[in-house]
Amino acid sequence: MRLDTFGQKIAHIDLAAGTFEVRPAPEEWVRSYIGARGLGVRYALEAGPEVDPLGPENQLYFMNGPLTGSEASMSGRWACVTKSPLTGTVTDSHQGGWTGARVRWAGFDGLVFEGRAENPVYAFVEDGTIELRDASEIWGKGVHETVAFFQERYGAKNLAVNAIGPAGERMNRFAAWVNDDDRAFGRGGTGAVGGAKNLKAIVIRAKLTKSQVDDPDRWKEVRRDALDVIRDEVNITSPRKGGLSVYGTNVLMNVTNRIGALGTRNSQTTSFGDGAELISGEHVKETILTGDPTCHACPVACKKEVEITEGPWKGLRMESVEYEPAWSLGSNCDNADVAAIAKMIDQCNDHGMDPIELGNVLSMYMEATERGFAPEGGGLAWGDTAEMVRLTDAIGLREGEGDLLAEGTTLAATRLGHPEIAMACKGQAVPAYDPRGLKGMGLGYATSNRGACHLRAYVAAAELGVAPGDAEPLDPLEWRGKGELVKVFQDLHAFSDSLDLCKFSAFAEDATHYADQYAIALGKPFSPEDVMTAGERIYNLERRYNNLAGFGAGSDTLPARYLEEPSTEAGSKGHVSELPQMLAEYYSARGWDEGVVPDRKLRDLGVV
Amino acid sequence: MSPVRVRFYATFRPIVGGKFADLPVPDEATLGDLLDEILTRWPELREHLVGADGGFSKRANLFVGGRAARFLPAGLATPLEAGQEIDCFPAVAGG
Repeated sequence: MRLDTFGQKIAHIDLAAGTFEVRPAPEEWVRSYIGARGLGVRYALEAGPEVDPLGPENQLYFMNGPLTGSEASMSGRWACVTKSPLTGTVTDSHQGGWTGARVRWAGFDGLVFEGRAENPVYAFVEDGTIELRDASEIWGKGVHETVAFFQERYGAKNLAVNAIGPAGERMNRFAAWVNDDDRAFGRGGTGAVGGAKNLKAIVIRAKLTKSQVDDPDRWKEVRRDALDVIRDEVNITSPRKGGLSVYGTNVLMNVTNRIGALGTRNSQTTSFGDGAELISGEHVKETILTGDPTCHACPVACKKEVEITEGPWKGLRMESVEYEPAWSLGSNCDNADVAAIAKMIDQCNDHGMDPIELGNVLSMYMEATERGFAPEGGGLAWGDTAEMVRLTDAIGLREGEGDLLAEGTTLAATRLGHPEIAMACKGQAVPAYDPRGLKGMGLGYATSNRGACHLRAYVAAAELGVAPGDAEPLDPLEWRGKGELVKVFQDLHAFSDSLDLCKFSAFAEDATHYADQYAIALGKPFSPEDVMTAGERIYNLERRYNNLAGFGAGSDTLPARYLEEPSTEAGSKGHVSELPQMLAEYYSARGWDEGVVPDRKLRDLGVV
Repeated sequence: MSPVRVRFYATFRPIVGGKFADLPVPDEATLGDLLDEILTRWPELREHLVGADGGFSKRANLFVGGRAARFLPAGLATPLEAGQEIDCFPAVAGG
């Protein structure tokens, strides 16, 4: 596959007609928005920000980046972009594994699903062709059974399966696409859009294909430079030595707990005390870890496979006990039972649901119960793992109380009459960093274009001292300077999400590494300054979409709890989020008018 | 002074052989004195806790009451108090 022809092979699949056509993306779009996240959002803007997310006019963009499936380290990523049924914003979510790579090797740079199939179908992708096939046999099945079905039918070799589960079929607003059992386009409800389209799965059969570039020696050199910093023992990415590689993302649990940044009991407090150790990456490694699976071209292997050896879920083998779900279903729900957390993550993988949103909707329901807001005959007690597991199935299947909770944290709390107990921004639930203990993360949540998100601007890297190079750690409790910092991280990550390299590459690589690798793929010079400009353009493109979709001044905010209820825990005691001050800094750095991109900014950046 | 309990995390645990250690420190000892004691007991931690410039590493963290030493007004000169617990972390992050 030639890397410099990226964008030439975008397949448009008409679900109603059962046909597909390959058309190149406009050259100007590829040049300006790079690929994956950026290119997908550009397509979404063209389709119109006013579309009904669950209507046939909303399109579903599965987009590779110019480096997806190449030999570049950590290039097993691709993006799913659409209008979110959870937030009403444009959303993008990214998957690891091999699915994006196999789509590239099968001859496609992106798959655009348009319209709605009359009956359930799956797309079979192989060797430059796409065929829509009857999915009635597997409609209603979980992801695990669906993957096994296709492996039985087509053989497991060189096969990737990306599927929705019962949650997506029932248009649960936080339904996810899951590939090969456990790697998800997790956030934003992209799985519900698949369900609304009667699209059950994308099945790809393709074997590894090497990249072709004009200057293979330089390609090898720039990849080696990037790999060297990933392997460097000072970095957390260092294989089998760095904390991320050894313990996975859940290496974070103890540190956020100790600094008072671990939301607990629906963020009523900011520390889980001794409970955090029991759900930490260290504890998982000591007790239930069985393997360290990885993704295409990744030496880090941050995924953690576990086996439960005792208790009601004895025998369960699953991956992966990540920091986010360990928090959302753990301390956030006053639950220190890591086996129960593993069980619920696996349920999410099988139903096809976002465990961050699930944990928040459950913790919201627990607080509603505590305060007497739950419906008569319903409710959920803090840390009641048996009921949490039961409700997880009910939410996936939209049965009983699960039907309300399947609407997501914000809508469900609103329908209970108490939106103030929804810990969410723009309709999407918060991740695992309490904004009272990590100030920059709070600003990142509020200004994220897809609703609360830790990955749009992972400023925790700077606040915890793991930014690449010689960057000075920044005080997590200081709000000054976070406006500019969040902008820089958002722009850098918008670019890496468009390449599409794993977000964790940024723990080792910097804009120069990204620029050097992209320049070879592009066949033209590209500088670190170009990286930041392209990232800024993409971030403003998303913001433009959201402005047109109705998100104007006042949309960038946090739940009142973070602004008004001071932390009572060590590390952040007495602190709230100084969001208004940070927003003023941020808007100044962005050149926005209270969250709205002015026309002059769009012109300056070349955004349509 | 009674011993100070230092809790270790992540990749530091295999090095120190446990989750915590109670380290004796003299009266009027500072956080810097405690760091010296840690480095004496576990020289393997030096490459993680000491930066190229000889100062405390920018990537590791010593927390006192949840606050990183580098952000305390007196830094490593902060006096230790009886019964205090210190957290010692390597660089950690995830997503």
